[in-house]
Amino acid sequence: MESQFVFPNDWHVAWSIMIVLYPYITGLVAGAFVVSALYHVFHDNSLKPVSRLAMVTALCFCSCATMPLLLHLHQPMRAFNIMITPSATSAMAGFGFIYNLYMLLLVVEVWLIFRPEIVATAQTATGIKGLVTKVLSLGIKEITPGARAVDNWVIRALAIIGIPAACILHGYVGFLFGGIKANPWWSTAMMPVIFLISAVVSGIAALVLFYLITGRGHSAEERSECVYSLTRYLWIALIAAFALEMLELLHMAYEGSSDWHVIWHLLTHPLRLSYGVLQVGVGSLVPLLLLPLALLMKRWPRLMMTVSALASLLVLVQVFAMRWNVVIGGQLFSKSHRGFVTYPLEPMGREGLIAAIVVLVLPVVLLLVASKVLPVYEEKAAH
Amino acid sequence: MSERISIFRDTRHLQILAVLIAAAGAGAFWVRGQLVPPDWGKSGPYRESALAQIASDPHILTADNKCLTCHESVHEERKDSPHVAVRCMHCHGNGHEHMKVAEKGDYKKPETPAAWDNKFPSKVDLFVTKDRAICLSCHMKVLGMPESFKSIDVAKHLEEQGAENVDSPDVCFECHTGHSPGIE
Repeated sequence: MESQFVFPNDWHVAWSIMIVLYPYITGLVAGAFVVSALYHVFHDNSLKPVSRLAMVTALCFCSCATMPLLLHLHQPMRAFNIMITPSATSAMAGFGFIYNLYMLLLVVEVWLIFRPEIVATAQTATGIKGLVTKVLSLGIKEITPGARAVDNWVIRALAIIGIPAACILHGYVGFLFGGIKANPWWSTAMMPVIFLISAVVSGIAALVLFYLITGRGHSAEERSECVYSLTRYLWIALIAAFALEMLELLHMAYEGSSDWHVIWHLLTHPLRLSYGVLQVGVGSLVPLLLLPLALLMKRWPRLMMTVSALASLLVLVQVFAMRWNVVIGGQLFSKSHRGFVTYPLEPMGREGLIAAIVVLVLPVVLLLVASKVLPVYEEKAAH
Repeated sequence: MSERISIFRDTRHLQILAVLIAAAGAGAFWVRGQLVPPDWGKSGPYRESALAQIASDPHILTADNKCLTCHESVHEERKDSPHVAVRCMHCHGNGHEHMKVAEKGDYKKPETPAAWDNKFPSKVDLFVTKDRAICLSCHMKVLGMPESFKSIDVAKHLEEQGAENVDSPDVCFECHTGHSPGIE
């Protein structure tokens, strides 16, 4: 470690915080979609209050998912090249198509879910709202019970198709990292699975928080039942995610190959805070204690929801730290295995901290606006 | 799903949607057709005509053996020095224009390059550099250089060696020469 030999092409951390945000945002999309599918496909009625919110969350985050990539590309027009002249063997080109198909699926599903309200509003509203809803209603003036039945069937079909689509959309990010064989911190077939499970974790945690913030209209009983159910899923998903992450680490340590000394140094020095403290300690172990505690507090709904919200917040930090440790961590050591570099996160600039905060806040703002404009909390009569 | 479903009436919105998606898809396909150059992909993921286009670009990089045709004493100076691995253009610029003038053959080759100084009419893309920035582009101590490569912490090195004009651009040349920089 003393020689600090870094290959000339290892000096800079080329994949910046924007590449950290990208899997974080797509993970939230995939996770939120899974929650909505638990209701639409697997009929977990306890999640009914958040089924619409989950879809809108997925849509808001998905529509911002490519922003960090565009900021990272120094010539954003290049983004279209992977679509216009795609390479059949490029996972990134595959992403272009998967992303577009998934986005189309989300838009159509959200449209179908809100169609009763859109058609009803189109009949009464005037001005811009009237125009927008008239266009969105495609000229349909009335929804017959038969049409609603068809819609419900299509919504379910799209949710079924959407589950593998969401998994592929997010799993491929892990696949991209897992396929880089020169990097021992990335190159593992477990990577897509680890990314996927932690995506589900982050999606559920985000929904707990969004629901507690925006879902004040629901009765206390409905809220606590839904949060309880989300907390249970979050606990299970977090156990799976944390177990996989630790299994991966244990496997590397037990194998003790020539890569292990560099990875151990990476984890205990440059990533000490973001891995040891945030990802494992505060982000995983504490929520792993808090979540079952919340489940035990079912009798005291307010306390249960508070503990669950706190755990969810920590879990969101955990998943961000995990993305950071993979993306940035994997670039902090040289492929010579003998030298380390640092990643100075500048506040300004296209790939700076402020830009990253804006990118991360934007889908949340979109969601808050959407929760005002759209009836994200289902009216009782709709189904 | 107990309601009676009329295939035409109850799926009209989906039919319209399908037509819209198909139209958008066809539009995207048409746009793609307009954007992709006709000879793209014929021999790989690039424009086939780009090869000929690149090959027809004028060759402007100057190889050392061209320089040494006239400046042969430099070869003598460098041949036992580590700087034999440094190309002329790294310190002196490309010299493409300079070479063009030289190749016209109007100038008689003098005995030593020194005799050319200020007489050869084209220094347009040449420079005789005595600038520490050029030296330090290789020799400044940075993370990643092998230990065997001579690299310095500038301030420390200048202090240790007792340099006189530490702020001068040509401070390195108080002790070193460019072609054979080792100290005897």
